[in-house]
Amino acid sequence: MKGYYWVFPLLLLHINLLKADTSTEEARHANLLLLKSGIGYMVPFPEKCSEILSDFADYASNFTKCSILHARPIRICKNCIEHYTNFHDKYQELLTTVVNGTSCKSVFISRDRLDAILEYHDNIMGIWEKGHCNACYDWKTGQPVLSNETIHFNELFNQTINCIMKYIVPSSNDSKVVCDNCMQSYIKLDNYYKTLSADAIGVDSICMDIVDSMNTTRSIWSKTLNCCKVRRTPEVVFLVSTGIISLLPILYYLVLRYCSPMRALPNVLKQSRFKQSILRSLGRSN
Amino acid sequence: MSNSSTSIADGTASSISNIETTSDTAQLLSHEDASTSNYTQLNRSVPYEDSDDDQFHGSHGIRRRQAQQKIEPGSMNVLSAKYESLDYDTCENHLLLDEERKRGYAFIVWKDIARWFIILLIGIVTALIAFFIDICIEEFSKIKYRELKKSVDKYVLEDKLYIPYLLWVLSNICIVFIGSMLVAYVEPVAAGSGIPQVKCYLNGVKVPRVVRIKTLIVKAVGVITAVVGGLAGGKEGPMIHSGAVVAAGISQGKSTTFNKDFKIFQYFREDHEKRDFVSAGAAAGVSAAFGAPIGGVLFSLEEGTSFWNQALTWRTFFGTVVSTFTLNCALSAYHGRAGELSFPGLLNLGKMEPFPFQFYELPVFMFFGAVGGMLGALWNYINYRLAVFRIRYIGTPWLRVVEACLVAAASATCGFLMMFLLDDCRPLGEDPTKVPLQLFCADGEYNALAAIWFQTPEASVRSFLHDPIGSYKPWSILAFVACYFLLSAWTFGLSVSSGLFIPNLLTGAAWGRMLAIIIQYMLPSNTINPAKYALIGAVFLLGGVVRMTISLTVIIIEFFWQISNALPIIITLVVAKCFFDFFNEGIYDIHIQLAGVPLLPWEPPPLAHNLYASEVMSHPVFTLRTVENVGHIVELLKLVSYNGFPVVDPPLADDVEVTTYKRLRGMILRSQLIVLIQNKLYNENANTTWSNFNVDMNMFRKEYPRFPSIDELDVAEWEKTCTIDLRPFMNPSPYTLPHRASLPRLFRLFRALGLRHLPIVNDVNEVVGMVTRKDIARYRVWRHRGHMGMEELILSSEI
Repeated sequence: MKGYYWVFPLLLLHINLLKADTSTEEARHANLLLLKSGIGYMVPFPEKCSEILSDFADYASNFTKCSILHARPIRICKNCIEHYTNFHDKYQELLTTVVNGTSCKSVFISRDRLDAILEYHDNIMGIWEKGHCNACYDWKTGQPVLSNETIHFNELFNQTINCIMKYIVPSSNDSKVVCDNCMQSYIKLDNYYKTLSADAIGVDSICMDIVDSMNTTRSIWSKTLNCCKVRRTPEVVFLVSTGIISLLPILYYLVLRYCSPMRALPNVLKQSRFKQSILRSLGRSN
Repeated sequence: MSNSSTSIADGTASSISNIETTSDTAQLLSHEDASTSNYTQLNRSVPYEDSDDDQFHGSHGIRRRQAQQKIEPGSMNVLSAKYESLDYDTCENHLLLDEERKRGYAFIVWKDIARWFIILLIGIVTALIAFFIDICIEEFSKIKYRELKKSVDKYVLEDKLYIPYLLWVLSNICIVFIGSMLVAYVEPVAAGSGIPQVKCYLNGVKVPRVVRIKTLIVKAVGVITAVVGGLAGGKEGPMIHSGAVVAAGISQGKSTTFNKDFKIFQYFREDHEKRDFVSAGAAAGVSAAFGAPIGGVLFSLEEGTSFWNQALTWRTFFGTVVSTFTLNCALSAYHGRAGELSFPGLLNLGKMEPFPFQFYELPVFMFFGAVGGMLGALWNYINYRLAVFRIRYIGTPWLRVVEACLVAAASATCGFLMMFLLDDCRPLGEDPTKVPLQLFCADGEYNALAAIWFQTPEASVRSFLHDPIGSYKPWSILAFVACYFLLSAWTFGLSVSSGLFIPNLLTGAAWGRMLAIIIQYMLPSNTINPAKYALIGAVFLLGGVVRMTISLTVIIIEFFWQISNALPIIITLVVAKCFFDFFNEGIYDIHIQLAGVPLLPWEPPPLAHNLYASEVMSHPVFTLRTVENVGHIVELLKLVSYNGFPVVDPPLADDVEVTTYKRLRGMILRSQLIVLIQNKLYNENANTTWSNFNVDMNMFRKEYPRFPSIDELDVAEWEKTCTIDLRPFMNPSPYTLPHRASLPRLFRLFRALGLRHLPIVNDVNEVVGMVTRKDIARYRVWRHRGHMGMEELILSSEI
């Protein structure tokens, strides 16, 4: 019986071929349909959804461009907020719009393996979230407004940078003037920055614009201008005390080694064995 | 000399080898000049024929130590006579038979249920202790390092760096001082990791006070102080010891320390049952420490339990799983993630992604293993020399406390100097750091070395395993490895309770990471996963030091979730072990040998079939008659420190001159004799005192495990004339071997059955000698640089 099974697929194939032959006309019609709507569906997409999608694509590319342009130094949060809100809102619209009982979401999202729309959305959101950009803004009103912290930080930051720009003498290597004059504002900025987050590093919660500004300032301050020399000091007392303390164990061991009282050495326990007692009894009888 | 003999005769220090005279016991006390008893030899300094005797012992290629009178302390070739054996042999006397008849099968079922319940409790309590230790260490360390950071931040600008430095030194010393005082004065056996002691206990050696509640408390507090005090120590070894103590405590249903008897689990009050629970407890400890339940079971299996059965394995596994589950619940709840169960073990090194390895990497791993083995051997050698020094010169407790404090100060010095001298600055925020210390770095940067030193060693291992490859400069890692290697070798063996797993993992991880960086420099095109090499490095160094193979591999595999990497790990360990064996032994074995513990290895010595029981046994045997005079028993117990006495038929003829052997009837233990005398179960008052006295097994269980010594008993003059019939109480069928049995045969009997005494009989079942654990353990195989042989160790009662 088993041997006959393979016949069936062949048979089916044959019938299908026949069918295809007869239905060439129909297929051509379907092709036309596909071309017309541009997408592989019998019913064309709601006009509204296509519009939203088109806008969404524009906003996404705007934001992408903006974020790439402002990647170094990082000003993404500040400069691309408009693009971001547009993009974000449009995406929400895409998700929520329902036309004639067909939601745009069901048409565009999670329909295939590639899922390009969702993928691009997630990417852009990823960049935004990674930079904690939302932390720069106050979202109470529903619209993004620069938060007080950000404004205050920017003030201090501008002060410091202006100060440095004002006193710096590009030709000379000596940065003492800058250091002396701007120390005040730099320390103020630094301290303010430290208050912004709980863990004093600020990676977790501060918006990336601020982190980057601070990092740059710190780098200029301590590396380019070399204003942190005050940290590197000879610390003689410290070195002497480490010397003394590390000598103590050596001394301790030497004293113990050469000055400890001689203790009596442990005795060996004599074991009684068969041979010994035989020998003894022999010795006794002798 | 007389000192030593009295201390032995006290019976406090215990069984030497249970050797006794064949001559009639009644005469034994009178003919001291016969020098047939061990006791008399001890009492007199015997200059005579001993040296001649020893010549006769040099047969069969056994290397025998020079027959010297004194020995240098700190030798590995001396057995201490202080250690007693545990008694695993069931004494099948009449009382036991009575009990079995009365209780029937229902009791067996009940006992089984009780066992499971106890294992459950052991798992839970062990995990809770682990939880307590972990939380204390974490919180105290957090406070300590936060304050230190504040101080450094403040004073570094004022050119007063010595203030935070001295603060660090002082805080280390103060914390370590507390722990060290506890260990040195309250409970010295709680020093170190506790694994050697547990290993000895599981092997059948009674290490005094090792499973007492006092030890547990000192251990727990000690390990907290040691780790918080900045010593290069870990909390894993102590955890294993704690598990063992918990098991011993719970299973007995009473605490002698608090003088509280809960009147439960009386039927588990014997060495055999207790030891089964202790092995389960140690396994639960391993499992709590590493989150490795199977590794815990294998640890118990590898480290000693000689009679292992399927039921016990299953119960132990249950205990380890309960332990890791409980700890997981508790820690997850504490960290605010209740129900997530993401903290299976004490040691939490973070989850590692399984990393693939290529075939070409196997030789690299083997190279790692070889170097790790050598490093491990070096570590052991340094620690061994230090241990010998400590035995010889640092005897008194306060000297040991001072030493611990000095090491604590040196650890802080080491760390601070390293931060001060090596400028390894990393930008903030790229790597996860808890306490970023700026020190001399530019603003916005932190000192990478300070980040390692300003956290617990465990967190440092985590950093080395998980940080990206550029996080540390090779030079700073090299300095760290050298420094920490020496520090950890220096720390282990101090009078503080801390283990060696973490410090070795840390050194190894640092070393592996350094190699990974070097490889990356050489092969810039490849992406090297530093975590892989750090892990392999950590494993090989640890394997080189402790030299446990099965359980360590499984612990590591379970711990890091690296089942696919079992092969490289095993290869690394085998290679490390080979290299290591060439030079010296595992660190635990070294410490066990230094302590002179008569540990029985797995296998009998090879090529020893021509050693016969007649040579191994102790010859003159002290025996008791079936119906024995109380006065004689008391005298005998006071005179010798032996724990088992063959019970023999009374001799037919009372001839003083001729040494006669007498027919064996049974064995009785010192503890049983003491209980008998304590309860005055004499033949003479059988009808008066006994009539309303319940003579059963509980009589013996009530006193277990600390029987009073014979000197504590109050024996009136009139009692000494009474007699005791030993027959209902003795073990009527002890294991015996004929005098022509070979050493391997004796050995196997001891190892497999966990015997304590083995009477040697002649052809007509007359006792000619007695073999105990020490008689067998003194034949030790040595392996050194490719040679091996057997030597006979000497015994001493003073080490």
